[in-house]
Amino acid sequence: MLNGLRYTYPGSSSPFCLELDSLRIGAGDMLALVGPNGAGKTTLLLILGLLVRPSQGILAFFGEDPWGSDDRILRARREAVLLTHHPYLFKGTVYENVAFGLKVRRIPEAEWPDRIGQALSLVELSGVENKSAAGLSAGQTQRVALARALALRPRVLLLDEPTANIEARLALRVEAIVHEICHESGTTVVFSTHNFSQASRLGDEILYLSDGRRVPFSHENCFSGTAQTDGQRSWIEPRPGSRIVFKGTQKGHVTCVINPEDIRLFSADDPAAGQGPNVFPGHVTRLEMTEADKALVRISGGLTFRVTVPLPELEAHAVSLSRPVLIKFEPEAVGLIGPASDSPENTND
Amino acid sequence: MIVRELLLAIWVSLKTSGLAALIASLLAVPAALFLAGTDFRGKRTVLLINQTWMAAPTVVIGLLFYALLGRSGPLGRFGLLYTQTAMTIGQVFLILPLIIGFSYTALRQVDRRARLTALTLGASPRQAGWVVLREAKFALLVAVLAGFARAISEVGIAMMLGGNIRNATRNITTAIALETAKGEFSNGVALGAILLVITLGINVLVQVGLRSKE
Repeated sequence: MLNGLRYTYPGSSSPFCLELDSLRIGAGDMLALVGPNGAGKTTLLLILGLLVRPSQGILAFFGEDPWGSDDRILRARREAVLLTHHPYLFKGTVYENVAFGLKVRRIPEAEWPDRIGQALSLVELSGVENKSAAGLSAGQTQRVALARALALRPRVLLLDEPTANIEARLALRVEAIVHEICHESGTTVVFSTHNFSQASRLGDEILYLSDGRRVPFSHENCFSGTAQTDGQRSWIEPRPGSRIVFKGTQKGHVTCVINPEDIRLFSADDPAAGQGPNVFPGHVTRLEMTEADKALVRISGGLTFRVTVPLPELEAHAVSLSRPVLIKFEPEAVGLIGPASDSPENTND
Repeated sequence: MIVRELLLAIWVSLKTSGLAALIASLLAVPAALFLAGTDFRGKRTVLLINQTWMAAPTVVIGLLFYALLGRSGPLGRFGLLYTQTAMTIGQVFLILPLIIGFSYTALRQVDRRARLTALTLGASPRQAGWVVLREAKFALLVAVLAGFARAISEVGIAMMLGGNIRNATRNITTAIALETAKGEFSNGVALGAILLVITLGINVLVQVGLRSKE
């Protein structure tokens, strides 16, 4: 559990700051961290792995303050393992690498071969025990590092983009392993990803971070594309002529997410919509009452959006099925996921 | 120069310089580990001083310890001047910055993820420090051997603090200086060749180390 967390890099002139009011991760839960590069995902994983101490706030690890003493932090750290984005293997053989954590925990040497064999077999790397770690491919390195973590049977497994460097078939295998150890062994898993569909598929909960802060997560209005920038603003064109503008100078493949509540609806002839960026024409193709005083409206045009509209506004604009409308949202309202190594699915239908 | 004297000079060289390399390494490697793994105010100044100290002439260090260890010096009461101990102390201070500098560079080149990985796999900070040392072991070996080579080949400190006393503090380099002064050039050249063979041995060790690293 984290409360009032704040972390700034010591001695750094970078303005980056991770701030989380509260975060509770239940034992045996699987939490997905989603957000663009620099959002604070890795920093949060380092904090959860007890490798860096928060500048402010309270961190309770299985109900205890782990930073109380050197002994306590070492004991707590041995309950959690972080698998970094680009894992590091020590010089030596695969066996020596996987045995490292067992050795420092003083687990009897007689148990090593079984545990190492099982862990390597899980990641489909049986028989490479005596190979030099330096000669492995990036994908094999990733899997050996995962085996090295699994051999320790940790209570908390922290994975920083665990499938980023491996081919699709093995990525699915890694997903299956992570799912299995979480649900069968009760291991708490926190993983970061750019892959939107992976987060939805695996995570019991999803924490969406942007610029060091939690931002509301929505499955609605997700659009992917290659970002371009003019130095002040950036945009993607999910379809020719349909440009979504957002703040910042992001480049590369990104997924834009717009919260349905941040989109405003106007009649097609309403001059209040103006000519600014992110004004899209469309027709109402679905109307759905979600809460007592709100409706979810699907607007289909060049792109399809879902918009949450308060009922009085719906009546004021006389919105009805098939009626032409305009929608508008501010560039600041666009959340970003990515750049992605594999393309997230566009959940918009 | 009789054989016994020659063997004794070789022994004095190996003993004082070997001991100096050992003591300096025990001090320098932890210092380099600290410097490489910690950011603190004034670190650049410390590195600059170390680099400058590396270039200090052997006679300057010899002179400094001559003043310290001489009878009227602050450490004069220990009676260390003109002993092998004095030679070793001087050589430690000669090669200390060299081993710190080389070790610092070697440890800085170790992937920063090594320490983080060791910690997340449950290593204590001390065990993580050992991991970093182990990852740089061949480069550290080169640093130590370079320090030893520097100590065994210097003459200023050995002359000033050892005094070139026959069968006591005379080592290969001071013996060369003496033989040359006497006009016994062939003896000087022969002693020089022996020193080169020892240096060659050190280099072979370094090469073997590097090859293992590859």
